[in-house]
Amino acid sequence: MSYWIRITRLAAGVTVASLAAIGSGIAQDVKLGFAGALSGPASFVGTEIKRGAEIAIDEINAKGGVKGRKLVLISRDDEHNPVKTVAQYRELVERENVVGIIGASNSASMLAVAPIVNDTLKVPVICPATDATEITENEAQKQGRDNYLFRVGMYGTGQGNFMVDTMVKKFGHKKVGLLTWTGGWGVTGRGELQRRLKENGLSPVADETFDNNDTDMTAQIIKLKNAGAESILNYALVRENTFVVKTKEKLSNNTPYVSAWGIAGPAFWKAAGDSAEGVLTSTTVTIDGPQSPERKAFIDAYSKRYNETMSAAVFAVGAYDAVYLFKAAMEKNGFTPAQIRAGLEDIPQFKGLIKNFTRPVFTKDRHNAVTEEDMIMARWTNGKLLEVKFDSKGPYVELDENTKKYIDKSTMKLL
Amino acid sequence: MYFFLQIALSGIATGAIYGLIAVGYSLTFMTTKALNFALGMWVMLGGMLTYSLNVQYGIHPLIVLPVVMVALFALGLVAERFSVYPFLRAGSDVWVMSTLAVGFLMIDLAEIIWGRNPTPVPPFFGKDPVYLGQVSILPQQLLIIAAACVTFVGLDFFYRRTLPGKAFRAVSHSGAVSSLMGINTRRIEALSYAVAAALAGIAGFLVVPLTLAEPQMGTVLGLKAFAIAIIAGLAAPRGILICGLLYGAFEGLVSGYLYTGIRDIVGFTIMIVALYARPEGIFGRRQEERA
Repeated sequence: MSYWIRITRLAAGVTVASLAAIGSGIAQDVKLGFAGALSGPASFVGTEIKRGAEIAIDEINAKGGVKGRKLVLISRDDEHNPVKTVAQYRELVERENVVGIIGASNSASMLAVAPIVNDTLKVPVICPATDATEITENEAQKQGRDNYLFRVGMYGTGQGNFMVDTMVKKFGHKKVGLLTWTGGWGVTGRGELQRRLKENGLSPVADETFDNNDTDMTAQIIKLKNAGAESILNYALVRENTFVVKTKEKLSNNTPYVSAWGIAGPAFWKAAGDSAEGVLTSTTVTIDGPQSPERKAFIDAYSKRYNETMSAAVFAVGAYDAVYLFKAAMEKNGFTPAQIRAGLEDIPQFKGLIKNFTRPVFTKDRHNAVTEEDMIMARWTNGKLLEVKFDSKGPYVELDENTKKYIDKSTMKLL
Repeated sequence: MYFFLQIALSGIATGAIYGLIAVGYSLTFMTTKALNFALGMWVMLGGMLTYSLNVQYGIHPLIVLPVVMVALFALGLVAERFSVYPFLRAGSDVWVMSTLAVGFLMIDLAEIIWGRNPTPVPPFFGKDPVYLGQVSILPQQLLIIAAACVTFVGLDFFYRRTLPGKAFRAVSHSGAVSSLMGINTRRIEALSYAVAAALAGIAGFLVVPLTLAEPQMGTVLGLKAFAIAIIAGLAAPRGILICGLLYGAFEGLVSGYLYTGIRDIVGFTIMIVALYARPEGIFGRRQEERA
């Protein structure tokens, strides 16, 4: 009889324990949120972010999740519209109870939600795509309160600094011309470039602009050439930049042309074709040219799962690293939003796809993971965006593991 | 000197496009006193069709051109019948809204059919610039200037030397009297709309290798062309072409010698001044109604 009682008690115990385990497994999924452009002209940005996050989450869950708990991505389409982003962030936090959010596709959206995130929602957000400086340098940061916004991508002041410093110091161009878009991002970009040139003790030899609808930049290019510009710095997107390079070709103009990350994706080569050869762009990540094994694995996972190549690798890679950063913070500190936020500020080292961080990814005063030291300059070479590296002989690109081609500093042509 | 010539030449090439589009406005205005306000969108349609036929299906431009002309001509007939004629018949001006509505419809349809990303169309004569001395111009731009000249001469010939041309002029002078004289006014009205649409298609076909093919490509072009048509006088198609070339050159020179940003301000200010000084347009003729 005592034998049976013992068996029954054992069975009861096992049943209760397994029910509890199952119950805790199901009820305790960790929810991450995302709201970004999944439709419309900016949809390639939002889709890349979502895909990068999905690949990371599935990898983590396949290995057992975070401390045994599975990650779940709840995503929304904000149509690149800040009004929708704000509403969806509220819904994600208040109704879906997400504990972390991957940032949106639109800088305007992030600027709109930043105050609400810091004052009311208090859920950490890591942005892979939006580069307006004030997203992370926000009111809460300035007032010394907890700042819930983080970033793993290019950011405004840093990009301006990087572009100017690279051309002035690494390429030795003291005479720099500006050619910017009169639209929003072009205006802030122009301000950044002028500021950094001034900090370097220089001023632009010419300061030209163009509109959305300009298809012919003849006057601007000739003026820049007459002013003696050794290189032209630019902030604009794919469409206008296509016209710039086509105009340069028409005028047989070889002035080196350097653009901010608006043209760091295959769409530029698709629109401009080999007129785009030799154009430099600043970015954080490129997936062309020799890659690390981890990056190769990510690229393969992406093409296997989605059956196409990445249209904007920088965002997918950023989202992937963002999820892993959340994981690191959760493992260290806990699963509540406040704990995750504090945990993010306390990651001393991190092997990310963007780079191998051997210093703290974020600190209390610096919520931008990628600084100017981490940004790279890339050159459009025969349809591929190759990272420009420097050694004692000067700048070069690697066409593949075995071929190194140096770049002529005054024309950006391959030697 | 090089600077002036290069800028002016580029500007004239751009102006030729404005002129070609602007002629469409006058064609319909002269016969019906109604305009296709969305002419720019029709240009876009011509461009998108060119992209589809030439790039996606690999058809040679010489065959694409007549196809685009015929397609837009037919569509123009349909659009006129349903978005202009009913309102003309009722004596109302609602054609302003309805032609615009057709235009917006076309943009949305184009976005659905072709997507929103700008795509390149290869220039018909290659992309190596042609050199006239030191000054360079793209073959495609030369083609556009040539097309504008041909249109100029062709229109002149049409209106003065051909019977249908004279019928057009009769209808623009007075529709009622023309029908009394045995001219099928209704047919002339519909035809003028359709021909304007076909012309817009040609303009789109010519310009799309220079710009990129995308649904929004026509909107600003149509607006500038409209301004030029007004400055030159809606009833003077040849004057419109000349004004187009001049306006394009002027835009380029302002960008080159002053500042790119004020180009449109200066241009539209001149339009207002010109209208104030000569309300009927620079090449227009003062209309007087005698009782």
